[in-house]
Amino acid sequence: MRKLAKWFSVLVMASMLMSACGGGGASGEKFRIAVVTPSAKNDLAFSQSIYESLLKVQEAQGGPEKLEFVISEGMFVVDDAGAAIRDYASQGYDLVIAHGSQYGSVLQEIAPDFPETSFAWGTTVDTFVDKGITNVFAYEARSEQGGYVNGVMAGALTKSNVIGVVGPIETGDAKLYVDGFVAGVKAQNPNAQVNVNWIGSFSDVALASEAAQTHVKAGADVMAGTAQMVVGAIGVAKENNVLWFGTQASQTSLAPEVVVANQIYDWSGVILEMIDLIGKGTLGGQSFAITLENKGLYIEFNPAYSLPPEVKQLAEATINAIVTGAINVAP
Amino acid sequence: MKQWLAALWNSQLVDALLPVFATLAALLVGALMLLALGANPLVAYAALVEGAFGSLNAIADTLVRATPLLFVGVGICIASRGGVTNIGGEGQFVVGALCAVLVGLSFPDGPALLVVPAALLAGMVGGAIWGGIPGLLKAHFNVNEILSTVMMNQIAVQGMNFLLIGPLMDPVQLQRASRIPQTARISPAFDLPRLAPTRLHLGTLLAILMAVLVYILLWRTTLGYRIRAVGLNKEAARYAGINVPRYIALSLALSGALAGLAGAVQIYGVNFRMFTDGSATGFTGSAGFHGIVAALFGQLHPLGTIPAAFLFGGLLVGANKLQRAVQVPAALIVTLNGLVVVFVVSTELWRQKRARRRVIERPLERDETPLIPTPPAATGQEGAV
Repeated sequence: MRKLAKWFSVLVMASMLMSACGGGGASGEKFRIAVVTPSAKNDLAFSQSIYESLLKVQEAQGGPEKLEFVISEGMFVVDDAGAAIRDYASQGYDLVIAHGSQYGSVLQEIAPDFPETSFAWGTTVDTFVDKGITNVFAYEARSEQGGYVNGVMAGALTKSNVIGVVGPIETGDAKLYVDGFVAGVKAQNPNAQVNVNWIGSFSDVALASEAAQTHVKAGADVMAGTAQMVVGAIGVAKENNVLWFGTQASQTSLAPEVVVANQIYDWSGVILEMIDLIGKGTLGGQSFAITLENKGLYIEFNPAYSLPPEVKQLAEATINAIVTGAINVAP
Repeated sequence: MKQWLAALWNSQLVDALLPVFATLAALLVGALMLLALGANPLVAYAALVEGAFGSLNAIADTLVRATPLLFVGVGICIASRGGVTNIGGEGQFVVGALCAVLVGLSFPDGPALLVVPAALLAGMVGGAIWGGIPGLLKAHFNVNEILSTVMMNQIAVQGMNFLLIGPLMDPVQLQRASRIPQTARISPAFDLPRLAPTRLHLGTLLAILMAVLVYILLWRTTLGYRIRAVGLNKEAARYAGINVPRYIALSLALSGALAGLAGAVQIYGVNFRMFTDGSATGFTGSAGFHGIVAALFGQLHPLGTIPAAFLFGGLLVGANKLQRAVQVPAALIVTLNGLVVVFVVSTELWRQKRARRRVIERPLERDETPLIPTPPAATGQEGAV
């Protein structure tokens, strides 16, 4: 018991010390953003994309003194996310971002209670303007564009003509990406067979690795996938020396020897536009999309992988064709 | 004085408070982790308490979060008293919600006074079927219910995904490229009434009412007596003429019915539609599992589960506030909740040991032979017990 008391007093002292060191006044003109994400901010996928974009926005705006942002990660329970969104709004944040298509119904309940606060919801096109709500921005990724480019490269690189795709559930940017990828493969290499496996989960890493094993056994020499559970599939790709195409965030660090290219989501342009609009008094009602054209989407080639020059040229030509509209990949 | 203290220490009051002590001990370990992460534990725990109980809205959030835990937890009490383990709360919750939302969407223009009770009933029936299947398998084929209820969770989740991506998808979403897997919103006329100007809804009162009803069922009716008899000793129950398989199946079905009702209330009181992120957790908030902890917290007694569920609900709500306040990784919150579970479950073993000691060491009644022979050396201390 005495030991316990000793530990407790150490704890209290340490806490006091820290509270003395911490703190610091807040300036009045600081723009404050709060973001709620379903998975961890270092998930190498969806949540990481918004986190890195916010870091970029913070730098562009002049650092933490000018723009402060906080994140609630791992909010896969929608009710908890709702409580977080409500709490941030009542704390007076200027912009509260609900980064998950599953957060729409709670946001629709919350937004009208905080008419002075601006909210953003993605990925979607719904701003609820038709429901009389004017303080919600919507944002989405036209992930089918980069999906198409990745697909074209995959179609050119496959030797076995079997390509495996691991997806979560058939919804949102995951569906767009996979649809685009399959279309790209078919356009480049009509003989290639694309096996798509929707595993029914965004988070089950083990299941994603099982799905990838199945693709490898079926003869796949190129794989792709989307959402945060694909780290399991990338592990399998690495072990079996199967090429991998990433999306949402850079996945190169997981397997530099097999990752060919990643489609990166960069939301910073969209967020800067929202900040600008909020400054002018528009709190919502507009829908944004990141595309190859506005550079919100871009293809990052892995420098450690020696991509044949003709395939790289092909990819760049495809990007140009999508930007100019010569190729239409919209669903 | 010393004797009085010893009596207090050995009393059941301490037993009832053990989970609270365990929670505090878990939070103490959590404080060390917070320190390691460079966060101030005092600020963090102040945020936790404030987030859970600090304002009218916070208390309402806690009660709303606790409501499904209470429904599920009360169901767990029935199953555990009947000698079976129900790990299938998640699946029963999902099936109950599906049945309830189907009723609401099928009769959008019906009178709320008719549709809402029918929907809640449908939720109970759905949950009862989903819990009853493992119950029947256990009763007649001795299939391990721990495995079968877990497996039923998977089936329920896949069924939910199929329905929400397919036939039950919101018609608005069907026209969009993004196709968010959710149902249409139920008619606002069916929303459960709010209590006070917060998110608190009538479902919380219903959960408390169910806890009282289940207490009456288990301790004041023949049915409950039989369920408990089967749970305490199957052989003795059979010898007494109780149809053991029937009560095994029934206790799992009743347990499932309450989890199903939790799902139905979640739709009509909180979310007003059903959605999926591929797993059950996004929708259920793991109520099917947290409910088990709440029941253990409440010593598997329906009335004990009421404060236990509210305490645990507060912990869940407060922990998220803690994360927001000190910006620690979300993994710490999961760890913190896990620590509480481990500590609370561990005290259950200690409580059993204490209960046993109490029985063995209590003063003997007249004509009763001691359960264990008193060692001669200990006779001098008998007065102290």
